[in-house]
Amino acid sequence: QLTPSSFLRIGQLSNVDLNEDIHELETELPRQRPNEIPHNEKLLSLKYESLDYDNSENQLFLEEERRINHAAFRTVEIKRWVICAMIGILTGLVACFIDIVVENLAGLKYRVVKDNIDKFTAKGGLSFSLLLWATLNASVVMVGSVIVAFIEPVAAGSGIPQIKCYLNGVKIPHVVRLKTLVIKVCGVILSVVGGLAVGKEGPMIHSGSVIAAGISQGRSTSLKRDFKIFEYFRRDTEKRDFVSAGAAAGVSAAFGAPVGGVLFSLEEGASFWNQFLTWRIFFASMISTFTLNSVLSVYHGNAWDLSSPGLINFGRFDSEKMGYTIQEIPIFIFMGVVGGILGALFNALNYWLTMFRIRYIHRPCLQVVEAMLVAAVTATVGFVMIYCSRDCQPIQGSSVAYPLQLFCADGEYNSMATAFFNTPEKSVVNLFHDPPGSYNPMTLGMFTLMYFFLACWTYGLTVSAGVFIPSLLIGAAWGRLFGISLSYLTKGSIWADPGKYALMGAAAQLGGIVRMTLSLTVIMMEATGNVTYGFPIMLVLMTAKIVGDYFVEGLYDMHIQLQSVPFLHWEAPVTSHSLTAREVMSTPVTCLRRIERVGTVVDILSDTSSNHNGFPVVESNPDTTQVAGLRGLILRSQLIVLLKHKVFVERANLNLVQRRLKLKDFRDAYPRFPPIQSIHVSQDERECMIDLSEFMNPSPYTVPQEASLPRVFKLFRALGLRHLVVVDNRNEVVGMVTRKDLARYRLGKEGLEELSLAQT
Amino acid sequence: PELEPECRSLLAAFAEGSAALTGCLGRRARPVRLCQGCHGHYRHLLAQYGSIARAVGNSSESHNCAKSILTSDRLQIVVTLSEFFNETWEAANCANCLKNNSEGLSNSTEEFLDLFNKSLTCFEHNLQGQTMSPNNYTEVCKNCNETYTKLNDLYNHLQRMNRQGGESGHSAHLCIDVEDAMNITRKLWSRTFECSLPCSDTVPVIAVSSFILFLPIVFYLSSFLHSKQKKRILILPKRIQSNASLVNIQEKYS
Repeated sequence: QLTPSSFLRIGQLSNVDLNEDIHELETELPRQRPNEIPHNEKLLSLKYESLDYDNSENQLFLEEERRINHAAFRTVEIKRWVICAMIGILTGLVACFIDIVVENLAGLKYRVVKDNIDKFTAKGGLSFSLLLWATLNASVVMVGSVIVAFIEPVAAGSGIPQIKCYLNGVKIPHVVRLKTLVIKVCGVILSVVGGLAVGKEGPMIHSGSVIAAGISQGRSTSLKRDFKIFEYFRRDTEKRDFVSAGAAAGVSAAFGAPVGGVLFSLEEGASFWNQFLTWRIFFASMISTFTLNSVLSVYHGNAWDLSSPGLINFGRFDSEKMGYTIQEIPIFIFMGVVGGILGALFNALNYWLTMFRIRYIHRPCLQVVEAMLVAAVTATVGFVMIYCSRDCQPIQGSSVAYPLQLFCADGEYNSMATAFFNTPEKSVVNLFHDPPGSYNPMTLGMFTLMYFFLACWTYGLTVSAGVFIPSLLIGAAWGRLFGISLSYLTKGSIWADPGKYALMGAAAQLGGIVRMTLSLTVIMMEATGNVTYGFPIMLVLMTAKIVGDYFVEGLYDMHIQLQSVPFLHWEAPVTSHSLTAREVMSTPVTCLRRIERVGTVVDILSDTSSNHNGFPVVESNPDTTQVAGLRGLILRSQLIVLLKHKVFVERANLNLVQRRLKLKDFRDAYPRFPPIQSIHVSQDERECMIDLSEFMNPSPYTVPQEASLPRVFKLFRALGLRHLVVVDNRNEVVGMVTRKDLARYRLGKEGLEELSLAQT
Repeated sequence: PELEPECRSLLAAFAEGSAALTGCLGRRARPVRLCQGCHGHYRHLLAQYGSIARAVGNSSESHNCAKSILTSDRLQIVVTLSEFFNETWEAANCANCLKNNSEGLSNSTEEFLDLFNKSLTCFEHNLQGQTMSPNNYTEVCKNCNETYTKLNDLYNHLQRMNRQGGESGHSAHLCIDVEDAMNITRKLWSRTFECSLPCSDTVPVIAVSSFILFLPIVFYLSSFLHSKQKKRILILPKRIQSNASLVNIQEKYS
């Protein structure tokens, strides 16, 4: 007797008749209360649709293509380049804005707190300073969290998981809207000024993508202005390509790494990659970093100095001063192992925390309160560590902007305060480049420990914030500790320069947490400005990924799974060849006839029990010998436009239609198509007939029933499809494969497992 | 082969000036008093070097001392010496505590040195009565606190003025005499006499921080106990269930 495993068929009854060979069965739905389970990561949500990346080549499209001549195509090509340039410039400007505002506001806050502490050190009453610092932090973060939680929740987090999903082809609601951009930029400024253990580089990628999606359409749906340009690009295909360029421009502005940005887009969105797209993306990222560089140089007073290509600048790593030898490679690999283990620990802790947050802290007010508490605790931890630290060091030059004397002798400053009162970016650069002996190991160790837990706690809050810089800082701190202990053990051998180990530690920790290999290697290579460091960095990142993947997956992938997004990986799970399209598809399929009654169409679209978006179109009047073969595929959005413009057969016959429907009408309604409830169809009109032949896609991709799952997966993923029709040998529709059907198969710990669908 | 007589005299004058300046710098190296004591010598040397460099003469080849003294050989000792003195003077940033025409100390420097001397006398005065308990410096701390605080404030004020005065191209340091004097005083005050501020206020800080650290625990516990856990409603997919597929997936579990 076969017993259904607990991983499959949760809450389903199925009748299995072992004596029949292939027997079509319908499941019996238990008509009790719907099955409810607490949230876990083995679910897929129904609210995520796919993007319409595949073009609908209906007659209207073919007519338009025939009308455009060669010169017009060249204009389209030039427009693409112009859009990419504009994406680069605007992304650079937004990055500048964030950087300048953060510098000024954070400087203001540090000055206020420092003056207060200085005043109260002599007089006594330092607890007031602590209260002031905690209150300042909490209030700034409260504003930042309120705008995210109440106005636009999709702007929470770093934005990289959402953009990864978008490039994968999943339509995350509201992810590339103007409101999201504004909330994201304000949110990240407020989070960093509020003193949270976060970075501002991750949100740049999201911002770049929104800018790209906005500019490439030539209009703003939120502001209701149409500039009547770039109308050719108003479809998902073009928009997704431009979003790839925007993401690359964001990476490039964040790290000063244009090639790293291109590779990031390549690694994440591998559908339909071609040379022209790569070239345009590279163009956008170069312009982005150049814009950022020149504007920041002008702002800092040395125009054309061009020394800050990204929001974070790792400083020069000279091969002479900080070279490495081949004996150090095994040490670096060991550091990669450590980074992988620590990264897996970070991810595991964050997983439990996020699960708790999703299950219990789902009301917006609770999320805001949590963010405020984290900000207050960050301030308290910082203050207590500064208070208890007796490590005083004389200040060399002006490397610290806000030195805090506290209980040190005059002329010396509290070195724990230099770690906490600096922005994290400056701390990272200091850890890389300070001469040996600048840091007390005890101070550094305590700081690493505290910051690790703070960063783990902070990621996942309802604020806009990234995780790159905290990981780099944690890694640089323990890497430097490692280098210091190494030079102590080898009694001051010259090659144990702690700055170099700080760099490797930072790479190891970041690789252990986010598990990006190719793009991260190139980003760090470009950020350090030295190609010779590429080889050890690559080894370290690969080691960290291998070790970390053994325990837990990367942070972004984990969050994507926790949000129940139907994410398709690069390939189908390896043991799935025995599954065929027949078992994977959804059936029965709601089909439409080629000439269909309006009433039927309206009823099908208004059906709330199933939210279909694609309908196969079958032959209209089959007699007994002729089969109702597949003729095409039509989308819900197209049907809605047809209903809105009342393109009925009877009306055309009566010449009531002023003009023929053109592709422009479909493009104007994109991307926010009206819902079916807003379309009014009278009783008489319900009896009219609608002819779908002109508007349907006459050549939809199909697969036969016996195609294996990997084959279906490859077709679906490589072409970026949304619907794949499964036909039998008589070209009759037997089922439909959508993203959810494919994404539910995953390679788990014990083999192939199937995820369940849930309403979220 | 030999120098002109005028050039020879210029060179001799330069040599004497360098020797005098070197002697002055060496004598006033510790404690650092070189800006106060050697600015005259330095000005004199500058003038001598200037007269060598300027001695182009009235378009007559024989009076071109600059070329024959300065750039006639590989080593160029005169240039090296002059550069050494200039760099040392720049590094010391003596310009900061001298008057504009470099003829004497500026007013703020005079004020500072005055206070400095007062502090030192105060220390000596109070230390003389320390025959009984040589390691107990409470008297010094109490009596000289006011003077020392005034000195410290003046120094911080000077530093702030210096930072505001010029950011690019200007050294971030004060002149070395002032810095060294302050350093000595601070070392005496903090290390030898141990008059630094005591670590006060421990109890209120611990109380406030424990309160703040306790708040998240309360928050998480209350949300765990009171919030309704978010449940997900499962949707049953519309699919063909065949025993073949059950067998396929089942096999992977065995």
